[in-house]
Amino acid sequence: MNSLSEYLHTDWEAMTRADWTGLIIVLVLTALMVVLYTWIFRPSNREKFEQYRDFVNDDEDVKREVGHGQTK
Amino acid sequence: MVGNSAENPNYNFGIVKAFAICAVVYLIVGALVGDLIAWQLSFPALNFNEYLSFGRLRPLHTNAVIFAFGGCTLMATAFYVVQRTCAIPLWSNGLAWFTFWGWNLIIVAAVISFPMGWTQGKEYAELEWPVDIAIAVVWLSYMFNFVMTIANRKSSHIYVANWFFLGMMVMITYLHVVNSLAIPVTMTKSYSLFSGVQDAMIQWWWGHNAVGFFLTAGFLGIMYYFIPKQANLPIFSYRLSVLHFWALMFGYVWLGAHHLQYTALPDWAGSLGAAVSIAMIIPSWGGAINGLMTLSGAWHKLRDDYVLRFLVVSLAFYAMSTFEGPVMSLKTVNALSHYTDWTIGHVHSGALGWVAMVSIGAIYHLVTRLWKTEIHSVPLVNSHFWIHTIGTVIYICAMWVSGIMQGLMWRATDDYGNLVYTFAETVVAMHPYYVLRSVGGLLVLLGAVIMLYNIVMTIRGAGQPKAAAQAARAARA
Repeated sequence: MNSLSEYLHTDWEAMTRADWTGLIIVLVLTALMVVLYTWIFRPSNREKFEQYRDFVNDDEDVKREVGHGQTK
Repeated sequence: MVGNSAENPNYNFGIVKAFAICAVVYLIVGALVGDLIAWQLSFPALNFNEYLSFGRLRPLHTNAVIFAFGGCTLMATAFYVVQRTCAIPLWSNGLAWFTFWGWNLIIVAAVISFPMGWTQGKEYAELEWPVDIAIAVVWLSYMFNFVMTIANRKSSHIYVANWFFLGMMVMITYLHVVNSLAIPVTMTKSYSLFSGVQDAMIQWWWGHNAVGFFLTAGFLGIMYYFIPKQANLPIFSYRLSVLHFWALMFGYVWLGAHHLQYTALPDWAGSLGAAVSIAMIIPSWGGAINGLMTLSGAWHKLRDDYVLRFLVVSLAFYAMSTFEGPVMSLKTVNALSHYTDWTIGHVHSGALGWVAMVSIGAIYHLVTRLWKTEIHSVPLVNSHFWIHTIGTVIYICAMWVSGIMQGLMWRATDDYGNLVYTFAETVVAMHPYYVLRSVGGLLVLLGAVIMLYNIVMTIRGAGQPKAAAQAARAARA
């Protein structure tokens, strides 16, 4: 491998329908992932998600467990 | 606010108890067969006959630990978590018991068919077509009950653990069905619908996702419920857990191709598998850090909380194996690691370190609550923790050393391009590490036996007045 451009060279003429289909799916999924990261880490969405941080302990707000090996 | 407590008599915890007990029993069975085949590799004379030979017992070991132990753990925890977080009983108790008996019959079928040599020869999917159909039916009954329970929930929110369980159920359904497509010849013999490299790709699309969804997504569901619950603390970041879920669902299905580097599979497919594998380090480590940071400011809990210790150490192994896997998928590293014991070491750092420890923690958590008592012996749990941890470390270190040595010996050439070592010489060199691996496995088995004893004694003591008084004291404290 002589250079990066040679490594990244693509013979577009040789691309089959399966190649194009796969490429498009990869690009769509990559775009969706970027949207996902942006949506989740957007500061205005913080409270929307973080309100559920203590969801599993909510049903025992009054008497949080201290038995069963748990410590205070 | 979920608004219900564990005292709610409507919850079906009977099915959770049954699956939890089965999980512990199957852990012993799987570890016992695993350790036997480890000794068989060290000392081939232990292959007494064809029924008990390594080739037939190895799929019994993998199926026992993955689908019997892992499957029962997933079913116990998913049925428990969905009831607690949705604040309603299971949608159908009858269907839940159908799942229980169906799953156990499938396990019995595996115990009979593998020693008989009835196998499709597809890794982690060895069972023949009639059992494959049964798996699909029983699995769908499990998923349908889970989905309907969520659909009828009283809480407005679907907690992230349920997303992980549901993601696992959906993905495993279609992975299992597609990979198992076969032409039956007799009741005990069929041939895959796919052939050549397509068959290999479908097989590893399934194989890696058995790891990715069955052994990762489902157990992350366990992690996201049991760590904050046991620690009595909110999860470090709920946003990170949502990101973890979607990134895992988007990414994991692409990884299978990295099992087929340097084969007839097109080069680009292997590169894609490796590239997505590397990308998966981000959500995997995000999830591991999320679980670990939940204890931020409360690390002292690890000193005394015997359940939390298992759960937290499992996350350290999860982080380690989700870094090691992507590195091994890179072609440069794969050229050395593939077909060697390094892969076995990697798999067991995930299986014994991550899956087993998070399961054991969850089961200890469940047992005392379901039977409304305290554990029979905390020192025995602590012994189990250290014996299991030491056994796991011995196992994976032995396989790392053996695997890397094996790879280096295979490809060593002299100045004239001749191989330096014969294959037999590499086998001789690996022998001490095989013995060491067997010792590690024996420790894991010993730990599992201690766990079963402790749980049986806990359950036996649960109905006694002393246990009731003990539980009442703990509640008042």
